[in-house]
Amino acid sequence: MTSIQKILLALLLVLLIAVPPFLGLGWQNALINVLISSLFALAFNLLNGQAGLLSFGHAAYFGVGAFAALHLMIAVEDGLFFPTPLLPLAGGLAGLVVGVVAGYFSTMRSGVYFALVTLAIAELFHSLAPHLEGTFGGEAGVSSMRMPWMGLGFGTIIEVYYLTLGWVVLCGLALWAYTRTPFGRLTLALRDNEQRVKFLGYNAHYAKVIVFAVSAMMTGVAGALLAISNETANYSLFSGSVSAQVVLQTFVGGSTVFFGPVIGATVFTLFSFLISDLTRSWLFYQGLIFVLVMLYAPTGIGGVIGHHIRNRRQLDLAKIGGPYLVALGGGILIAAGTVFLTESAEVLFGQDYAMARDGASGGFPAYDLFGLSWSPLNPVTWLVPLVLLCGGVFILIRARRVIDRLWARKDEATTADMTVGAGGKE
Amino acid sequence: MTKFAFGAAMALGAGTLGAATSQAEPLKIGIIESLSGSQTSTGRLYARAVKYGVDRINAAGGFNGEPVQVTEYDNAGGASEAADKFRQAVADGVNIIIQGASSAIAGQLTEDVRKHNLRNPGKEMIFMNLGGEAMELTGDKCQFYHFRFTTTAPMRITALVNAMKKSDALGSKAYAINQNYSWGKDVQAAVEAAASEGGYEVVGEVLHDVNKIQDFAPFVARIKSAEPDTVFTGNWSNDLLLLMKATGDAGLDVTFATTFLDQPGNIANAGQTALGHYIANNYDNAATPTNEFPEAYKAATGAYPIFVEGHSTFALGQLQEALSTLDFKGGDINVTDIALALENSVYQSPLGPISVRKEDHQTIRPVVVSKVVKGAKYPADGTDMGFETVEVIPGEKAIYPVQDSCQMKRPNA
Amino acid sequence: MEFAIISTLNGVTYGLLLFMVSAGLTLIFGMMGVLNFAHASFYMLGAYVAYAVSSIFGFWTGILVAPIVVGLVGMAVERFLLPRVHAHGHAHELLLTFGLALIIEELIKLFFGDFPVNYQMPEALRFSAFEIFGTGYPFYRMFIGAVAVIMFTVLWLLLTRTRTGIVVRAAERLPQMAEALGHNIPIVFMFVFGTGAALAGLAGAVAGAFYPTNPNMGIELGVIVFVVVVVGGLGSLKGSLVASLLIGLFSSFAVGLDWSIAGMFDVVGLGDWARSVGGLLTLELSSVSATIPFALMLIVLLVRPAGLMGERN
Repeated sequence: MTSIQKILLALLLVLLIAVPPFLGLGWQNALINVLISSLFALAFNLLNGQAGLLSFGHAAYFGVGAFAALHLMIAVEDGLFFPTPLLPLAGGLAGLVVGVVAGYFSTMRSGVYFALVTLAIAELFHSLAPHLEGTFGGEAGVSSMRMPWMGLGFGTIIEVYYLTLGWVVLCGLALWAYTRTPFGRLTLALRDNEQRVKFLGYNAHYAKVIVFAVSAMMTGVAGALLAISNETANYSLFSGSVSAQVVLQTFVGGSTVFFGPVIGATVFTLFSFLISDLTRSWLFYQGLIFVLVMLYAPTGIGGVIGHHIRNRRQLDLAKIGGPYLVALGGGILIAAGTVFLTESAEVLFGQDYAMARDGASGGFPAYDLFGLSWSPLNPVTWLVPLVLLCGGVFILIRARRVIDRLWARKDEATTADMTVGAGGKE
Repeated sequence: MTKFAFGAAMALGAGTLGAATSQAEPLKIGIIESLSGSQTSTGRLYARAVKYGVDRINAAGGFNGEPVQVTEYDNAGGASEAADKFRQAVADGVNIIIQGASSAIAGQLTEDVRKHNLRNPGKEMIFMNLGGEAMELTGDKCQFYHFRFTTTAPMRITALVNAMKKSDALGSKAYAINQNYSWGKDVQAAVEAAASEGGYEVVGEVLHDVNKIQDFAPFVARIKSAEPDTVFTGNWSNDLLLLMKATGDAGLDVTFATTFLDQPGNIANAGQTALGHYIANNYDNAATPTNEFPEAYKAATGAYPIFVEGHSTFALGQLQEALSTLDFKGGDINVTDIALALENSVYQSPLGPISVRKEDHQTIRPVVVSKVVKGAKYPADGTDMGFETVEVIPGEKAIYPVQDSCQMKRPNA
Repeated sequence: MEFAIISTLNGVTYGLLLFMVSAGLTLIFGMMGVLNFAHASFYMLGAYVAYAVSSIFGFWTGILVAPIVVGLVGMAVERFLLPRVHAHGHAHELLLTFGLALIIEELIKLFFGDFPVNYQMPEALRFSAFEIFGTGYPFYRMFIGAVAVIMFTVLWLLLTRTRTGIVVRAAERLPQMAEALGHNIPIVFMFVFGTGAALAGLAGAVAGAFYPTNPNMGIELGVIVFVVVVVGGLGSLKGSLVASLLIGLFSSFAVGLDWSIAGMFDVVGLGDWARSVGGLLTLELSSVSATIPFALMLIVLLVRPAGLMGERN
């Protein structure tokens, strides 16, 4: 880590500590979610980014961690002495144990086969959990309550926030430190050339099991933090959508950069916090963002930022800043056009509109969107998104050409860093 | 939980949240429904009905000198997302939480409300449960601030058994096929319990995975080999549709006694197969003696109330009834007083009176038993089929005894 | 006996439906090494396209148009989207198709709503094929099975008996060599992907009229189809046929069997002990029949990752 990065991180930490008390309860809660999903994504990416193993079933370890923490919480409620702030240890331990077993088997395979093994394991948990009421509490789940400890009530959201922050920072640093150890380096070699690792005399399988277990342990801690925050957990934590969410976040954030997953987790969590009550199509937008990132910036947001940081000395901000702003403008136009079309479709194909049509005896009455009234039969209604989209695409293509030229000039100067390639423009 | 821990938690909660505003605040209602994700359909119906109910309260002058406010929260069908939205609702100062589409989420929310009320005395919240029918919500998990404005498995099954027996549709052999989770098990238990009253023998029972089975033909084969007259099922959504289609395709001659056949899309999808089968539910348009309520609803929302919309509107009507007995004179809203008023409220629904049982906050309510017929008064899903009322079972006849597991802790008034 | 025969019939027809969906997936994987997460979405898309078309032009037009539309969508995906991420490896291709699956599902909800749509088979097809033990056996089930059998035969003949098939197989084994011999490999790949998607679309169009057509049908079937393809051996057409039938038969028979681990303990006299332990030991097979395929997939992946009929590991 360079000193600039260290300073930035320290600054971020200070903000995370100092600002939340002045925020509303809603934002405090959103930040808790950001922190938890960040840790989840970091833990997931240890496996993916470090060892090159793509897991489609990390919900299993997240859920196991959550349930373990809850059972400990219940024991504490019943009088067991255990400090509340240390509850995530239970999640970590459970994640570790399950991770060792699951990891032992799943790392016997690689590539697509590995992904499928992890998927199958998570599906087993998901389909068996509701039947095992003793452990997972049926479909209603297990519920408990945070107990006060040493004068701390843990009744308010801000207390939970600080508890979460502490654990996430601690685990995040531990994960980062792990990548710096000789063993962490070895896992990186596993990703790049497993054969060579074997020739060096290491047992590649055991090494993978260890990475898997560490990843599962940290995922368990994240699950435990969610359990502490929610005070309940049910079997839906094992569902495919939980596994999918962490994959989306990690790759949108960028899996090749250590803090990339944190960016993705932050973006998606805040996106759902801000958007999910506004539009019913937010899952569509989320999917769209993911696919666009995969297509145009396969290294993710973090990868693009990293690419710029690495090349900052060769880049002339004064020259490239302008085209970037233009490109951003184009992107905003395209986004506006897409949102307009999507929301219109949502209205026009919705039940309420069908009723409105019945009311207007089969005609096409006007509908309200963004505070204005639009008539589906008026060409202006469709001209607006069309102009937005075409204009946006035109501007974006023009800007991209300029940007490409500027980057090409830079590349002539230095041929280093070919990893990102065309990824830096979107 | 130990007594000590309980007290300590309450004391600390009280300490941390002292600053209450003394302004005249409107009553705030939060709908936490699945408005995106896979169970969206039902969530949106609940939301629409609640809004209609609130509009009526506001048309009558609102409450506490202000219009009642409603906010929708999307829980995307997940319990942990619901917990998240609950905290958002707390942050927004919501007084009454409403949810209906999922038992699991109801379980989550009632616990959230219980914990919130323990920690924040004086800032309590009420949970109006419009659709969570799991027995444990008024059993193990019963609590003072939770009210259930819908039936439970024994109420629906008792009603079905009574009405079908009276119209000679029950037969002497019954089969129970249900989803393998609390609701399905509740229905199965209720079918067993009602056997002697209905004079039938349970010739077979099966519990299957929830919404995972694509092919119900094997289950139909199993039902067939037991040769029942009536098949009781609490299945909903795909599990009901697939089951009925498979039965129809196999030409099996049984009568289905269902609970969620009125879910939108079911009648259209099942087609002719649905004819002649029975359903017990909270409300049906055809059961109202006058057209007043369905017509008023249609005038306001554009369509007749379907599926859960009717009884959800009644729940809001009951709230209106309770609110009308209270007057905070523009001052702070005391949610505990609202809860106490709800306990004493009786709502005269078009189908009969609905009241709250104080011991477990289950509503004592009429249950409608209907049959799918052609040329119904209110056709379903744009088909020519619909429901014809067989009998409206009054609340006192449908209700079951309070569960022993309910140990409700009342507020110290 | 009655139970066994009916269960076998049901299992075989359900298995054939599974095969219809998984055939395209296995074809694509075998050729291009791409595990297409969006495959089940193509199945759903087929059902919805068929529904939309058939409501105007009739059932058979719908059945005909749906695979063509879905095939074109598949070709577009292969031609315009997959190459963009190809350089980043199979993981990114997997992720892209995964993202597409999310988008397709949400788009369907946007245009067709969340409720199941009213997609029905024509009344002319709604009759019993034959009577067995007093109940009719629906003709449409036989129809689904027949479509699957025809599909398998045509595909198999196409791949093994025609020149096109030889080129396709050559493109799979040694793409460079095939290219050097003057075959346009990208076009071959595009058509294979399109065919795979079209098969899923056809399956959706045919099955959607029998099972409800709703926005969850893709997810619900998707995972099972993965199981089929893995158990059969990724890329093996014969394998996925065998695995489809196996899983179809299994889910059919499991329903009637109230076996549990505790029941097995009865044999050695420990049944009561097992029941007192509860949990996993007392779960009945019939209630967890949807779980078993995953366990099967896990075992196959660990013991014989090439699957029943796969050639390569």
